[in-house]
Amino acid sequence: MANTSVKKILLVDDNQLFLKMLARAFQKAGLECINAESGREALALLKTVIPDAILSDYEMPEMNGMQFRQQLLTDAALADIPFIFLTANTDNELMLKGLDMQAIDYVFKDTPVKVIISKLNNLLYTVQKQQELSKNELKKAAEALNVRSIPNKIPAVKGFEIDFWHQPYQDIPGGDFIDFIQVDERYTFIVLGDIMGKKWMAWFFTFSFLSYVRAAIRFCIFDHNYSVAEILQKVNEVICLDDVLKDILSSLSLLMIDNQTQQITYSGAGDLPLLHYEAKTKQLKQISGDGLLLGLFAGSNYGEQQISLSKGDQLFIFTDGMIDFSGNTGKKSDYNNFANNLAPLLNAEMPFENIKKSLFEAAAATQVDDCSIISIYKTS
Amino acid sequence: MIKIIKDEPGHLLIAVDVSEANLENSELFKSQVTQLFDRHKKNMVIDFNKVEYIDSSFLGAMVSILKHAMGMKLDIALVSLQKDVYDLLLLIRLDKVFKIYGSYNEALLHL
Repeated sequence: MANTSVKKILLVDDNQLFLKMLARAFQKAGLECINAESGREALALLKTVIPDAILSDYEMPEMNGMQFRQQLLTDAALADIPFIFLTANTDNELMLKGLDMQAIDYVFKDTPVKVIISKLNNLLYTVQKQQELSKNELKKAAEALNVRSIPNKIPAVKGFEIDFWHQPYQDIPGGDFIDFIQVDERYTFIVLGDIMGKKWMAWFFTFSFLSYVRAAIRFCIFDHNYSVAEILQKVNEVICLDDVLKDILSSLSLLMIDNQTQQITYSGAGDLPLLHYEAKTKQLKQISGDGLLLGLFAGSNYGEQQISLSKGDQLFIFTDGMIDFSGNTGKKSDYNNFANNLAPLLNAEMPFENIKKSLFEAAAATQVDDCSIISIYKTS
Repeated sequence: MIKIIKDEPGHLLIAVDVSEANLENSELFKSQVTQLFDRHKKNMVIDFNKVEYIDSSFLGAMVSILKHAMGMKLDIALVSLQKDVYDLLLLIRLDKVFKIYGSYNEALLHL
C-alpha cells in the first residue's frame, strides 16, 4: 500500500474476552485497535477519533449492531467509514438487512482470526485504491483544465534570484498557493497564500482566492496604484462579500519587487512573519505583517512596509506547514525551531537548491501539512 | 470532543477534549460549539489546556464559531492555551481576534 500509516480499527463487542483476543491479534498484524464494549461507548469514542474501519458485533444488549449502524448512517462524518458486521448468526434475512445498511461484509465469529485480518486488510486496500483512483481522476481533470495553484515557472528579476519549494500534504493538492506576476518590466508581484484547511476542499478554493488576488493586482496597476496593502484590502473586501467563500479564510503574503529601485514592499494577512537573513551581520530577523486573515472581517486594515535587501541577503516567505512537524511527543508548531534549523545553513552560504534537499526534503517524513517556502536572494 | 465543565448564569465553560485539534475533528468541534451557542445563548469560555497542536482547519473552525457568536452578540474567550498553541495564534495575529486569558479565573475578571 502506498500509504504506510498505521490503520485504526474500531472494534465493538460486548464480549470482553473476544474483544481482547481480537485486539491482540490485530495489534500483532500492525493494526491499531480502539475497543468499545457497546454501541453507545463506540458512538462516544467516535466523537474524538475517526477510525479507518469499524468491526461491530451484531448481538449486543441495549443497542444492537444494526441500531448502532443506523446511528452511524445519520451522521455524515461517520456514515462512510467502512463497516463490517461480526456475528454468530447465520440468518440470511438478517444478513441481507445488514448489507442493505451499507455494511460492506459479514464476518462470522468462528472465522479464524487470520482470515478476519486478511479480509480487513483487503478491505482497507480496496478503499485506499479507490481513493487513489479518485485522486488521480481529479488530478487529471485539473491538468486538463490547466488550473494550477503552484507556478511552473520562476520569474527572472534583475538583482534578485527567486526560488521556491512546495510539497503538498500526502501528495494531495491542498490549500497553499503561489503565484509570480510580472505586470511589466519594472514590477513583479510575489503571492504566497494558505487556505485554512487541507487537501481537495482547500485546493478548490485556492483558485477563487488566486483569481481575486490576480484581478486586484491588475486593477490597481491600471490605476497606477502600487500599494500592496491596498491590494490586500480590496481582495479582503471582495472575499467577505462572496457568499461562496463564506467561512473560508486564507493567509496571504504579498510582495512587490520594484526592479528600478531594487526595493521590496510587503503586506501580510494572517501570515507567518517572514525571515530576513542579513549577510553582513549573519543574523536571521523576523519581519511581521499586521493584517488579519483574508475573509475574516470586512473593513480590516492592512499595513505595508519596505524591505531593503543588501547583496547576499535572503528573504524567506513560508506557510505554517513549514513550522509544523510530527515528533516523538506528537505534532508541534514551532516557528523558532524552524528558524534555528535554517540559520546555520544560511551562515554556511548554502544555495537554496541545497537547503531544499538538506532541510526541507529530508524532513518530509515528519510533514503534517502543505509546505511552501519562497526564497528571494539579492544577487547585487 | 468537548466537555461542558460549568454552566454559569452568564457563560458556559467548556473544554476541548483532544490533544490534536485538526482536520479530523474540526467539523465536529464547530457543530458541537455552534449547537451550544444556539441552545444556551451564553458567552463561551473554551479551555484549551489539553490541546498540544492546532492545525489551520481547526483554526478556521474556531474563527467560524466566533463569527457565529458575534452574530448572536455573544463572545468567546480562550483560556489555558499551551505555549506552542498560544505562540501560533500570536504569530498569525489571531490574538487580535480572540480574547485570550491564562486561566478561567483570569477570564472571569473580564466577562
